[in-house]
Amino acid sequence: MQNFISEQNLNTLLDKLIAAGKRVVAPRLTAGTVLYEPLQKAEQMVHDELPRRSAKETFFPVCEDIMSYEKEGQQVRLTDIDPNSFPETILVGVRPCDAAAVPVLDAVFSWDYRDEFFLKRRDKTTIIGLACTTADDACFCTALGLSPADPKGSDLFLTPVEGGGYTCETFTEKGEQFIASHGSFFSGQSDAKTLPLAQPQTDKFDLKKVKAWLDEHFEDPAWDSIATRCVGCGACAFVCPACHCFDIVDEGTEKKGKRRKSWDACGFWKFTHHASGHNPRDQQPKRYRNRIMHKFKYYDDKFGQTLCTGCGRCIRICPVGIDIAAIVEEISKK
Amino acid sequence: MTQAIDTSIYSAVTSAIQAEAQRILSEGQVSAVVGYAPARRKGSAQPVVITEASDAGKLIFSASCVNNLAVYLTKAKKEIPKNGKIGIVVKGCDLKALVGLMGETQLKREELHIIGVPCAGVLASTFQPDKALTTETIAPKCRECDAQLPQGCDFVPPQQPVTQALEKKYAAEIARLEALTPAERWAFWKEQFSKCIKCYACRQVCPFCYCEQCLCDRNKPQMVETSPRPAGNTAWHIVRAMHLAGRCAGCAECERVCPMDIPLNLLNRKMAKELKELYDYEAGFEIKEKGPLSSYDEKDDQSFIK
Repeated sequence: MQNFISEQNLNTLLDKLIAAGKRVVAPRLTAGTVLYEPLQKAEQMVHDELPRRSAKETFFPVCEDIMSYEKEGQQVRLTDIDPNSFPETILVGVRPCDAAAVPVLDAVFSWDYRDEFFLKRRDKTTIIGLACTTADDACFCTALGLSPADPKGSDLFLTPVEGGGYTCETFTEKGEQFIASHGSFFSGQSDAKTLPLAQPQTDKFDLKKVKAWLDEHFEDPAWDSIATRCVGCGACAFVCPACHCFDIVDEGTEKKGKRRKSWDACGFWKFTHHASGHNPRDQQPKRYRNRIMHKFKYYDDKFGQTLCTGCGRCIRICPVGIDIAAIVEEISKK
Repeated sequence: MTQAIDTSIYSAVTSAIQAEAQRILSEGQVSAVVGYAPARRKGSAQPVVITEASDAGKLIFSASCVNNLAVYLTKAKKEIPKNGKIGIVVKGCDLKALVGLMGETQLKREELHIIGVPCAGVLASTFQPDKALTTETIAPKCRECDAQLPQGCDFVPPQQPVTQALEKKYAAEIARLEALTPAERWAFWKEQFSKCIKCYACRQVCPFCYCEQCLCDRNKPQMVETSPRPAGNTAWHIVRAMHLAGRCAGCAECERVCPMDIPLNLLNRKMAKELKELYDYEAGFEIKEKGPLSSYDEKDDQSFIK
């Protein structure tokens, strides 16, 4: 059983993959901010900071072209993007809260319509998770039944050990395949002790109770007190590992242009603005209510899971301090 | 060397704000008070609207009271009831925005009860709200603040903030960028704008972005590409900077809230500097009816028309 990889071997392996033309994506400092970005060298990987945005963009980019058009006289030429052209990718150093969101996204992108752009990238990606050794008081994965060592969504999962290096467990065929293909970088049983892992301080939510309340309280004065302060930006949705709404627009001229898919957010007033001018979510609390409803009720109704993994990004980033962990906890006590 | 900033007055300031809010609400002088309240995370604060005198004790002031609450009084924020007089807690930088909104006939002075805060500074970021205020963690805007004591308020707690001279980071960065060639400067901003993900947090927190429909949200006709790509990102940030020229008073909320760390207030400060040099105009505590870019005078400098 090959279950240990040293720090140095991990770097050498990643460098070898990069040299072989594989796309290796990991937390990396990019123009002053840590993001999941392709590495040029393994040493660029940041091991101890939760990236500002989640790993979802590896499969679901901020913006992507999905088609292009050209018009000449009466002739219109449409050109598809070929999802087979997406590169084989190793996504490494993924935090458990980000990896756990991937199966959550799989469900929605393969449900009534198979989104080839998402699914093809997903198919061609091996996910190597990494346990967290640090957490802050915005982290709440434990409140949702996950943990800093949860391998959900990972093909392979690394846990740092004392004296350096990682123990490595496989959870899928892809993970086993990865170890089999790169066996020389891994060694046998290690008896090194796992580094102390992060311990987020939040108590486990009673999600059944939360959902039961949401089932009955679409209209409730609580929404005003929760979200009157919401200013209606999309920051929470854009840093979220599980939010997956997108907008499709044609950009260009009459003669030539592209159809593009980019992230959207239910916090925007424009999100539900009808062509007639009517907006069913005419006030901000109704928009924020949708965020909570979708995460803890609608998604659960449809897929039997929660659309939140407790990464805490929206809590840290919210311009006006809206704290989803505090809100869900409050609802669970109603 | 990192030095602590003295915020010891904030507990007395908190008590004074609570007492004033309690008084004006119980006397029926105002229908609501917009202020700051503590939140779950250690050291955190969030905007709150209180309407009952019994809730006045919830109000606080601390180094994590970063928001410019003036945004809640604009017509863009329909959720805040605007019936009758409203109380609002403001730092000096926030007050300049209120004054600007009055100049633009968005707010009436007599409909506000302004509680000014003697301010020693706030945090640059509230990602970790329990950080102590130091020369490292203080917001860059506070390093060049000239408004620690707001003027023309209805009430200001009597405490005096201890101030210390700090290096002006915006001024230094503007000087650095001005010394670059246009191509180098363009490369700098191109990289910055390429980070934008079009979350519009900068627009949504800005007291001066009160348009009910932003030009950048229009699609009939479309003025600016909405996709988070170089063309639309650059257009958006130029529109934003130009629309704020001569209006932005430097609360720097846009920069604080940017999830991608784009130095937006740097653009705002550069525009403010241009306005000062060209028109001897700056946003401050005095209500002015028309800014230089919304008025015309035959004596205006025409030399740029070639």
